[in-house]
Formats: sequence, C-alpha cells, structure tokens
Amino acid sequence: MLELKNLDSGYDFLQVLWGVSFTVEKGEFIALIGPNGAGKSTTLRTIAGLLKPKGGDILFNGESIINKRPHIISRMGISYISEALNLFTDMSVQENLLLGAYAVKQRETQLETLEYIFQLFPRLEERKDQLAGTMSGGERKMLAIARGMMSNPTLMLVDEPSLGLQPNLTYQVFDALLKLRKQGVTILLVEQNVNATLDFTDRAYILEQGKIVMSGPSPEMKANDHVRNAYLGI
Amino acid sequence: MAKETSAAPMITVNSLNWLKDNLPVVVVSIFSIVLFIMIGFEGGAPQLFNVIVTGGMWALLATGLALVFGVMNIPHFAHGESFMAGAYVAYFTFTPLNRIFLASGSKFLLYLGPFLAIIAAFLAGCVLGIIIEKIIFAPLRHRTKEGWVMNAFLLTVGLSFMMTNGTTLTLGPNFRGISRYFDVPSLEIMGAYIAVDRIVAAAIALVTISLLWFFLRQTKTGRAIRAVSQDETGAQLVGIDLDFIQTLTFSLATGMAAISGASLLFMFQAYPTVGLTPLYFSWYVVMLVGLGNIAGAIVGGFIVALLQSGTQLFIGLSWQSVVPTAIMILVLMMAPSGIFGSEVKGVQEQ
Repeated sequence: MLELKNLDSGYDFLQVLWGVSFTVEKGEFIALIGPNGAGKSTTLRTIAGLLKPKGGDILFNGESIINKRPHIISRMGISYISEALNLFTDMSVQENLLLGAYAVKQRETQLETLEYIFQLFPRLEERKDQLAGTMSGGERKMLAIARGMMSNPTLMLVDEPSLGLQPNLTYQVFDALLKLRKQGVTILLVEQNVNATLDFTDRAYILEQGKIVMSGPSPEMKANDHVRNAYLGI
Repeated sequence: MAKETSAAPMITVNSLNWLKDNLPVVVVSIFSIVLFIMIGFEGGAPQLFNVIVTGGMWALLATGLALVFGVMNIPHFAHGESFMAGAYVAYFTFTPLNRIFLASGSKFLLYLGPFLAIIAAFLAGCVLGIIIEKIIFAPLRHRTKEGWVMNAFLLTVGLSFMMTNGTTLTLGPNFRGISRYFDVPSLEIMGAYIAVDRIVAAAIALVTISLLWFFLRQTKTGRAIRAVSQDETGAQLVGIDLDFIQTLTFSLATGMAAISGASLLFMFQAYPTVGLTPLYFSWYVVMLVGLGNIAGAIVGGFIVALLQSGTQLFIGLSWQSVVPTAIMILVLMMAPSGIFGSEVKGVQEQ
C-alpha cells in the first residue's frame, strides 16, 4: 500500500533521512522505532506532504505522492496524526471532529462517522461542546486520533501518541488503534514506547540516524539483542 | 458549618479574579454603555444613528481586516483602496442607471438603483480581491514563508500606492459624488429626521455582518476559514485547500469593504484617496480589540464610532480623530494584545 524508495528528506539546512526504504502492506500495523532525532517524525511528515523530499520516491497504492500537496494526500485517504496534534484549539470537540470530515461529501456519512467515533470514544462525546484547547493532554490525543478517523482513512500515520501520557491512558490510545486496525485501517506507528509497541504491531523498522538499520516481525525484534540493549534497557 | 461560611468569600474572590483578568473588557464595556446613554441624551436619535452608521462601516471594514490578518497573516494596508473601489463602482453604476430609471418613471426601479449599485460594487470587490490575491500573494506564499509578515505588509503598501495613483491617472483626482441615493423625504424616528440613505447604509452594514457571522459559524466553508486561522497545518491535514481558503478570504474582505464604500457614496463621495480615513480607523479597531479577533472587530467598530461621536458632541468636531486615537494608545498600554485578546497564531509557529 505504502512504499518508500530511497527517500532523502530533511529541512533547508539539514538532511535527516538518507535513502530510507520500507513498505507497509494493506491491513498491517507497522512500527517505526528509533532514538530521538533519528528522523521518525520527518519520515511521517514527508509522507503526509508537509515536507518535500530531496530525493527518492513515495508510492501510495502504486501512485507517486511526493509532488502532491498535503490536503490532496489527506483526501487520498492518508491521515496524519501529528505529534503536535494541530487541533483547532478555539473550536469545540464536535467542530474539530466535523472538520476532520471536511473532505467527506455526504452529510449523512459525516454524521454516521461522528456517531461511530462517539461510541469508540465516549469521553469525547461527554465533552463535545468543550473547547479543544481546554482539554487535558490525554483527551487531546484522543481527539486528534478521532479527528483523523473522521475522514475514513485507509492509512493512518500516528506520531508518538503515548508521549507524555500516563500509562493507563497510553493503554487506551493503543486500544483505540487496535480497534481501528480491526476495522481494516492500515497503521504506521512511530513510537518511543518500544515495549508496548512491539507487543501490538505486526512488523517493525528500526530507524537510526536517518537510515533503516533493521527490520522484521515484531516478536523477532523484541527478542533481538541490539533492540533489547538500545531500546528496552535490558 | 465551616463549608457554608467559606462559600461566601470564595464567590467574591472568584469575581474579583475574573474582574482582574478581564479588566480592559469591563472598563471598555461600562465606558461604552455610559457614553451611549450620554450621546442619546445630548444628541438624540440623529447622533445615535450616526453611531450605528459609522459603527457599521468600521465593523465591516475591521472584520475584513481581521479576517485577512487572522487567516492569511497579512497586515493589509491597502484595505482603504477596496473601500475606494466600491465607491467608484457604485458611482459609475448608479449614475447612468439612475438616469435611465428616472426616464422610465418607475418608482420601483428608482428604489432598486442604489441596491444594484451596491451589489455591483460587492461583486467588483470580490473579483478585485481574487485578482490581487492570485497575482500578488499566492506566488509569494508558494515561493517562501520567510519574512512573510514584513513582505506582505510592504506589498500592500505598494499596492495602495499603485491603486490610488492609478485611479488618479485614469479617472482624475476629482470627487465623483451623488447628493443622495433615495430621493425621498427623511424618516422621522424618535422625534428627529434621519436621511433614508443613512438608514439603508446602516441596515446594509448590519445585514452583511450578520450574514458573515452566520457563514463563519454555521457553514462548512466558514468553519474551514476559522480552522485555517487557528492552525494552518491542522487544516491541511483534514483536507482543506489552503489556496482556495486564502483566495476566498481575501475576496470576501475586499468585497465587504467595497459594500461599505458603495453604501456610503452619498457621504464620502468617490475620489482616489477616499480610502485613507477608513483604512486608519479600521486598523484602530483591529488593534484595539486584538489582531485577528473577528467577533471583537464587529463590537470594536461600534465602540470606536461611539468614541468618535462622543468626542464630536462633548469636546469638539476637530478632536474627532485625536481623542479615539489617544484612548486607543491608553488601552494598548494596559492591554497590548487588545481588549478582547488576540486569537492568531504567532508568525514563527508556521
């Protein structure tokens, strides 16, 4: 479904990704793991179209998307849940969610999806008229994920959802992602909480200093010596 | 027992805190209400009506300015020229039409004329806005965001020069004016006679503001505009086309300013530099209430009109610009982000 070929990407003054290649097949739950500054967020931002790559290609269902603008990529079915969340802080939960479905043409489909989201996240329904900026960190992450789901995406890019969250909220977030996965949504997850991530995901790629150094099924990765040393503190 | 006695002081403490946090708003609100009443007593209905007409004009202009700054991060200093464009289009539409309608003898057509002129001005303003945005700002936006605010500001200043001088070159510096839109006697309201032109101008301003408010709050596109002003990246991530929203916003702002210029043609006339005073005052409003604050711009327009009217009545006509500006300086010293606070994202965050 998603294929990165020799991707070079970065910022004006700094190249961050060096020839990154990996694939995500339809229906998979893939983890992208690595230390701080490795380029994980840069990878997701490049896929989402917020960064223009300096070289290489990104294919989504066989079609190159590196020259497409972010809103087009979003409309193609890729939802990016950024680390900064990018919520509309002066709007209510409900308005944020409705905006998540901005590209959905049918009003009924929008409302149906909204109802489904409220079932998945009852906390959000309770607070549906509350301003997004006044909610707690965990609730805002939930809202960001929920908003990303409103467009019925086929691929979700989730950037460090558990960052700064207390453990039981982290569990809730991962639980929501698994529910999504059961719906058939393909997920590419960037995370620093390696332990939990390797329990939930199918496969993992290890990104260090802008290069993929290792990959394989998650249970294998969890048993790997280097991974255990560097990321699991064992 | 202890809980009951501590409840009373808690309420007072909470209200005091709220008062402290919102002091500028409270002060200005009380001041405005008092001023409104004083003007009503001293000047009667005509003065109050002046406030509504002028307030409506500032509100229309300031809202457009707030939108452009909030959504596009452009400090728009050619906004007065949108006003001017509206005035000219209205003049060149109304004058020939009115001649034809007079000849036709139909009362209905005579009453329709001004509205046609104002609608023509609105459409011309929207088109002008689209052209300006696509030719001047969109290319810069796609090229680089560095130094955006300063660059955009300089562009609008240049645009202002070009438009005023271009108009002088092509249409001449002379005032093009009409004495009145509607050739009917003044209406009597609350014991005073008020020109129908003013009533219509006030009504148009209020209707336009209400329509804009409804559009921004209740429609999908309006919500998208608000979204872009709050988080541009978030807006892109939910599939909003930034280029479309930017062009739409600029077009609407220009169109609304054109409505203002057109509906007040009988008062201001049309000449190349007619936009100067509207520009300054609409910026006063925007700075007073907080950059990018749209609801505030609407209220602020009327507050500034109140200040002007109050100054006129109680101090003197020539102080009309001085006192409101002085008050604005005072308010900004107390509350630099405006009395209602600024909603816009910082430029560095982009």
